[in-house]
Amino acid sequence: MQTIFYIILVPMVYLAAGVFTLGTLVRIVKIFKGPKHPTTLRIYPEHKAKWLWTLYDTFCFPSVRKHKPVLWVFLVLFHAGLVLLFIGHLELIWDLSLFQVIPHEPFLGKGFVGLTLVISLLFFLFRRFSSPVRELSVPEDYYLLILLFLIVLFGSQMDWARRWYEYGELSLEDYREYFMGLITFRPELPYSTTFSGHSFMLILHVFLANLFLLFFPFSQSMHAFLSLPINKLRRG
Amino acid sequence: MHQKTRDELLKLFESKLSEAMRLYLETCTRCGVCTEACHVYASTGQVKHIAAYRAEIIRRLYKKYFKTRGKLWPSLSESKELTDVALEELFEAAYSCTGCRRCMVYCPFGIDTQMLMSIAKLLLIGANTEPEILTLLADTSVEKGKSIDLFKEGFLQGIKSLEKDVVKKWETEAGDTTIPVDVMGADLLYVALAGAHSIIPAAAVFNAAGENWTLSFFEAVNFGAFVGDPTKTKLILDRIINEALRLKVKEVCICECGTAFRVMKQLSGKQPFKVSSITEIHARYLKEGRIKIDPAKFNTAVTYHDPCQLARNAGVMDEPRYILGQMTEDFRDMSPDPTYNWCCGGGGGLVALGDETIDFRMKSARVKADQVKETRAKILVTACENCHTQLSDLNDHYKMNVEVKFLSSMIADALVPK
Repeated sequence: MQTIFYIILVPMVYLAAGVFTLGTLVRIVKIFKGPKHPTTLRIYPEHKAKWLWTLYDTFCFPSVRKHKPVLWVFLVLFHAGLVLLFIGHLELIWDLSLFQVIPHEPFLGKGFVGLTLVISLLFFLFRRFSSPVRELSVPEDYYLLILLFLIVLFGSQMDWARRWYEYGELSLEDYREYFMGLITFRPELPYSTTFSGHSFMLILHVFLANLFLLFFPFSQSMHAFLSLPINKLRRG
Repeated sequence: MHQKTRDELLKLFESKLSEAMRLYLETCTRCGVCTEACHVYASTGQVKHIAAYRAEIIRRLYKKYFKTRGKLWPSLSESKELTDVALEELFEAAYSCTGCRRCMVYCPFGIDTQMLMSIAKLLLIGANTEPEILTLLADTSVEKGKSIDLFKEGFLQGIKSLEKDVVKKWETEAGDTTIPVDVMGADLLYVALAGAHSIIPAAAVFNAAGENWTLSFFEAVNFGAFVGDPTKTKLILDRIINEALRLKVKEVCICECGTAFRVMKQLSGKQPFKVSSITEIHARYLKEGRIKIDPAKFNTAVTYHDPCQLARNAGVMDEPRYILGQMTEDFRDMSPDPTYNWCCGGGGGLVALGDETIDFRMKSARVKADQVKETRAKILVTACENCHTQLSDLNDHYKMNVEVKFLSSMIADALVPK
């Protein structure tokens, strides 16, 4: 069993990171290698500050706010939450003074960011069960949402356990030691990461996150990188 | 389907894979925000008419033949083989989409369904299953471009017979030609449609404005664009470009045809002449005081339908409103605004297909009829041939009780001496 845990927590992480980076790069290069469209694809009226409008379209989802306001609320919460969780993971590796303007212990949000994401993902998943989004959806959409839901759930459980249930067998130092080992290519697994009562949460979280990263370049998650250039086409 | 046919169709598919097309094919999250955007879905409630659903029909083929995951794990994204049944699906998707691009305004990524449908249309051409009439019309246009001398005599005779009707609207100075043709060094080349209604009012307004103009030998409409054939679209377009270059004109004016204007404006590339729509030119004449119109000529409630290819897709939005503002005191704009305006339901070649599509066109444009009725206007104006035909059909079908008019013809009717 310990060998499987090791494979998940070390070699599989490297594999997933490699596939994610290389796969994403290859896909982006392949798209932008294609010939340019000979005509403008913009929608009128035309606005002068095209890049500013493109950034607005990409990061504020104004069309969703206008037509599906409830979805927009969850989309904003979800995407903002993802950014905060990303910062939280960086803080597990380094002490980032920039984010300590509001003094806190990683992660930001005292566990509520994870909770918000869990609720948002459930909303995204359940709205796919009702028509007409059900007819538009393909299996990939469900798999991705379930995968993300489980990643966030198991990840948040570790945070919630420490904060809300005072179950601190896996400490911040343990996570940090594990992460630093991976980053510096001197992987070490602290005892608690594989033997503590909560280690299965970490292992499942990392396993599912690995799956997500492996799948990312081949999935619609690529919209994270593509939504800026595609929105630029509409703005001309 | 024979493997050789499939391979040839896939080559056609591949020829469409530009950077923009790949972005459109790879970014959709099927969030459903576009659901209410399509007038066909809004009028019929059928899921197959949601933009994202149409796009998935193309996307499934793309995943099957151009993406590794579609080959390795087809069920994951429901990738699909290109079969005769798939061609039928492509036909239904492509010829129930008018290419109005309203869904592009709704989509959080701005995915262009008209572009995606151009793949479907090209595959249908490759499989010889496109609407035959559109190809025939496109071929006729191309042929006319190749052998203009054969058509010249008949064309000039036809034009001569229209002159008296132009004079009825605006008396030309003695010695001036009423409908000048083939004038070397003219300032403006007017490209009309095959029909007196497209030539007579335009000629009267050009003459009233004292324009140094000439009429094109060719009709503006581009059936190559309707059928989705890029080669024929270019050939049809090139006839006009070559004529404009030969006559050394400064400006090419496209008649009231949304698709013709968009194709000419956006596909003609960098040229020594400017491309304008007749609506832009009429607004310019009014602003410059080159023509004067009777503000009391249409003393009733007037509304304007923005042709999608002219407004949302080419930016001619303020000019028709300026003109109508000069012509009536009771102009009632439709709601929603031009960017979100409902398509009339006749674009993408549907009107050109005539009675074959009339049932679908009427059912799919109920929301347009409702939008017009809400204005309670008596005159419904537009600046596109397709829209005019479709709106007239809708008027009969939905008892809209409006008079459907061309903007240019209203201007010609309201002309008064300066």
